[in-house]
Amino acid sequence: MTAHPNRLHESAARLPAGRPRRAAAGGVSPAGLLALALIGLAALALPLVADSYLLHSCIVVLFFAYMATAWNFVCGYVGQLSIGHAMFAGVGGYATVLLFTGLGLSPWLGLPVGGLLAAALSVVVGYPTFRLRGPYFALTTIAFAEMIRIWVENTESVLGIPVNGAAGLTVPLAGESLAALQFNGKAPYYYLIVALLAGALAATWALERSKLGFYLKAIRGDRDAAESLGISPARYQLVALAISAFMTGIGGGFYAQFFRYVNAERLIGVDLSIDMALMSIIGGQGTVFGPLLGAVLLAPLAEITRGTLGGSFLGLHLVVYGIILMLAVLYLPKGLIAPLRAVLARLARRGGAR
Amino acid sequence: MDPLILSFALVNGLLIGGVYGGVALGLSLIFGVMRVVNFAHGSLLMLALYAAFWLQALAGIDPYASVVVTVPLLFAVGFLIQSVVIAPLIRRESALVVEPLSALLLTAGVYLVIDNLALMAFGPDVRSASSGLALAPLMLGPIPVNMQRLIAFLAAILAAVSLSLWLRSTRMGRAIRATAQNRDAAALSGIDVPLVYAVTFGIGAALLGLFGSLLATFIPITPQVGLSFGIRSFIVVVLGGIGSIPGSIVGGLVIGVFEALASQFVPATSAAILSLGLFVLILLVRPSGLMGRA
Amino acid sequence: MTTTLSRRAVLVRGALALSATAFATGGFATGALAQAEIPVGWVLPLSGGSAAIGQQARTGVQIAVDQINAAGGIKAMGGAKLKLVFADSQSKPDIGSSETERLIQRENVAVIGGAFNSAVTFPATELAERYKTPWIVMGAVKDEITERNFKYVFRINNKATYDAREQLDAIDMLKTETGQGPKTLAIFYEGSDWGRSHAANVRKLAKERGYTLVLDEAAPPNQVDFSAQLLKIRAARPDALIAAFYTPDHLLLSRQLFEQQLNLPFGLHSVGGGTEDPSFYKAVSPKAVAYYFVQEDRQVDALQGEPLPEFVDVEKRFRDTLGYGMSAYGAQGFSVMYVIRDALERARSADRQALRDAIAATDLTSGPAMYVGYQRIKFDEQGQNTFAHGAISQNLNGQRRTVWPAASRAPDTKPAWPVPAFGARS
Repeated sequence: MTAHPNRLHESAARLPAGRPRRAAAGGVSPAGLLALALIGLAALALPLVADSYLLHSCIVVLFFAYMATAWNFVCGYVGQLSIGHAMFAGVGGYATVLLFTGLGLSPWLGLPVGGLLAAALSVVVGYPTFRLRGPYFALTTIAFAEMIRIWVENTESVLGIPVNGAAGLTVPLAGESLAALQFNGKAPYYYLIVALLAGALAATWALERSKLGFYLKAIRGDRDAAESLGISPARYQLVALAISAFMTGIGGGFYAQFFRYVNAERLIGVDLSIDMALMSIIGGQGTVFGPLLGAVLLAPLAEITRGTLGGSFLGLHLVVYGIILMLAVLYLPKGLIAPLRAVLARLARRGGAR
Repeated sequence: MDPLILSFALVNGLLIGGVYGGVALGLSLIFGVMRVVNFAHGSLLMLALYAAFWLQALAGIDPYASVVVTVPLLFAVGFLIQSVVIAPLIRRESALVVEPLSALLLTAGVYLVIDNLALMAFGPDVRSASSGLALAPLMLGPIPVNMQRLIAFLAAILAAVSLSLWLRSTRMGRAIRATAQNRDAAALSGIDVPLVYAVTFGIGAALLGLFGSLLATFIPITPQVGLSFGIRSFIVVVLGGIGSIPGSIVGGLVIGVFEALASQFVPATSAAILSLGLFVLILLVRPSGLMGRA
Repeated sequence: MTTTLSRRAVLVRGALALSATAFATGGFATGALAQAEIPVGWVLPLSGGSAAIGQQARTGVQIAVDQINAAGGIKAMGGAKLKLVFADSQSKPDIGSSETERLIQRENVAVIGGAFNSAVTFPATELAERYKTPWIVMGAVKDEITERNFKYVFRINNKATYDAREQLDAIDMLKTETGQGPKTLAIFYEGSDWGRSHAANVRKLAKERGYTLVLDEAAPPNQVDFSAQLLKIRAARPDALIAAFYTPDHLLLSRQLFEQQLNLPFGLHSVGGGTEDPSFYKAVSPKAVAYYFVQEDRQVDALQGEPLPEFVDVEKRFRDTLGYGMSAYGAQGFSVMYVIRDALERARSADRQALRDAIAATDLTSGPAMYVGYQRIKFDEQGQNTFAHGAISQNLNGQRRTVWPAASRAPDTKPAWPVPAFGARS
């Protein structure tokens, strides 16, 4: 590529100097806080009024929102596109199930352990690959995830651990048991995923205000300039990736507990990776609430086309996905959250103008 | 391992590797000129395969004869995708910070739309076309060599050579190369860059039109068929060196032979893991590929 | 400030309400007129890789319901009509579970059928068990589905172990009849759930019965070239080859075996998948599949010379809808609906508990439900139809003729055993 002589200089100038500037994007005013509290209350009250199906659907949407938020934690802020995040979900999901069936370890411990294993994998994968940029990085993440998927599908057991190949693993029924993280009703799962999502959003919010987030944005803005200022891209990207993988791994564990079944084709498959990335990108990557917005819009879209058309038009919802993706890339590169935020900001200004 | 079996594995690997290389030519050309990773590459091949199939099913045109339709058809499709879908992005990019991922995402959208429209239009059933040319297999000792694959192999070599010559010797070819080297300088010297881009994308797709017709004679056709070729094309292009025309063929041959020989010792599932591993390794160790300039 | 706040809150609440209604629409659209209708749910792979099979099952189901309703519905319930609700699993376990939840909670279905993919059926039937909603499994062969002591889950078709056993039974039978047969076997299969579990069963049985496995090879789905694997088969020189592939890969395998004239003295034994898909036969040259042994859930030539009116109708309508003849999955869907009709007539109610009890008491030996090709449908205490069996046909003169079980073999069917070499075929 041609290097514009003044590009480096420009980018260096764009870097905010000194302390991280308070980002207008994630800035939460008292009004915003109150709105958040209201949403939180509404969310917590939902199981009191919703029936099992509505609750189930909300859990699925929130699960995707959580996964997209976890993806966004590194990819949204570093500006790299990972299409292999499902491998972290797979590690978390398989670890949670295997620790429970093999060692009798409660999923409450299995979830974080699975998350840590996913984080460890992310360091192994990320250390060499973060040097690659743009499409190269994206293709490498696909390759890594596919290697793991094909390996799991064709391995019955490794070192005495029954991976069970393509047939997948089931979580043995334990009845209503808090210790085994199994419930007959859906409300406990709902509260769990709400808590996980709130945690992931809080982590992202904190990231935006942290030194780490500041450095990541600098790296995204111009990697060479950031490097020349003494920021080590590899180190900070790796830390962010490990945290993201940790959260994704926990998400995989949640999937395993909620559906009580994991298989490589789905949980390590490229479809899940693409879903995580698309929801985040269409909603608005590099923002706290963008991925949540993306999931809340896209996950029900798939559900509705399936539900109302009953499969009469094969793959129609994916055509709609594709069109939305193209329009978003072309006309809303900052995601659907950008215009929404502009509207809200205008309303805020008008309301605030005494 | 029987040396006879291994030598035939080698021959088969070269044949199918040449086909992989030919299919990847367009991907490499488009990336080399426009820096666009075309995620919809496999989808365009799928469209070409269906075009060849329907031309035979509805009009009785032999797949080999259908080249005269599929090549211009795919050129038009490629030209349109570039000028309608991707051009707005490139226009925007000249003003804003360059974001190479946007192009990848955009073509990922094209991939989703094309593959699923094909599923809606053609249904999920598997199809096949076959040439009326009853070509007896070429016997190499006791083992037959499939003529359809040999034809596709030769076409791949021929396509790569003629593409290189064309890029070198024609006015348009030179304009494409100039644009690839420096878009702004090319624009300043009076080259119509949007047209060059559209023609480049059109040629990349037209090559798939050619291979769609040739491959239709021996590949099962389904709406998902593009994906297997798409992913393999990425591997081939990275291996050979992104943007290099001879590299594409060399990369194809290397991956074809590698898979064919590896498959004699391990199951195909492990061979698939190994070739993905090779892909990652090349990217990490020598990102410019075997034939690319470092 | 206050205005901002309330407006924001309103916006947010509006968005929540919107998405809530969005989920609900599926239910509201149909809930109102459910009085005289009995909703029956189906979870099938209607898009994605297995979509062709999902479409076949759906067509068979639809034809059966049209027939039942045209013939006056469920007579014991005052002519109540059946109403179908289809759900698309996309072959993904979590989506199958979500759709099952929708069918049970929103569509209030009395009973569910499906879901072909074992990976979808296994977790989804667990939901049905929990919600005490009867489910009749169709297509999915994973053994454990009917080994969990469930009360609400029934399966009309074979378990995976039955499929492998039948293939070896047929080889053994031909060996006994003719005094010659294979000593060495090769298995070549697709590397996902179905192919791998079938291979595991064949591996175990072949060892028990004294066959030597000379090649045991998996390939990832959607291949573009099998040359390398054919060389391996050539080098291993098996007497017979057992194959498990879905349609696209099976098409490629059959074409390349034919092109390379790779001889297997005791034939290729396919466990269905591609070879039981009618669209496969539309795409492949008849010469390439000559003498194939195909194990499938339904006896392909069972109806020749036996034109029952209801079967003429189903075969014609199936062909009109999909453009090719009846498939095993279309037939299974068709039969499951007649099993449900029978149970509804006896239960005299669409109540899930009553219907479950009636399905458990099913014992059919005649009628349209037999279209699937079994002589009897009766579920054991685990819900497995123990009378399920497949049939094995050999492709003779362009027609698939049943050779196993021997009782189902037509008098004029003479199995070609060993199979003529490619050079010796006309």
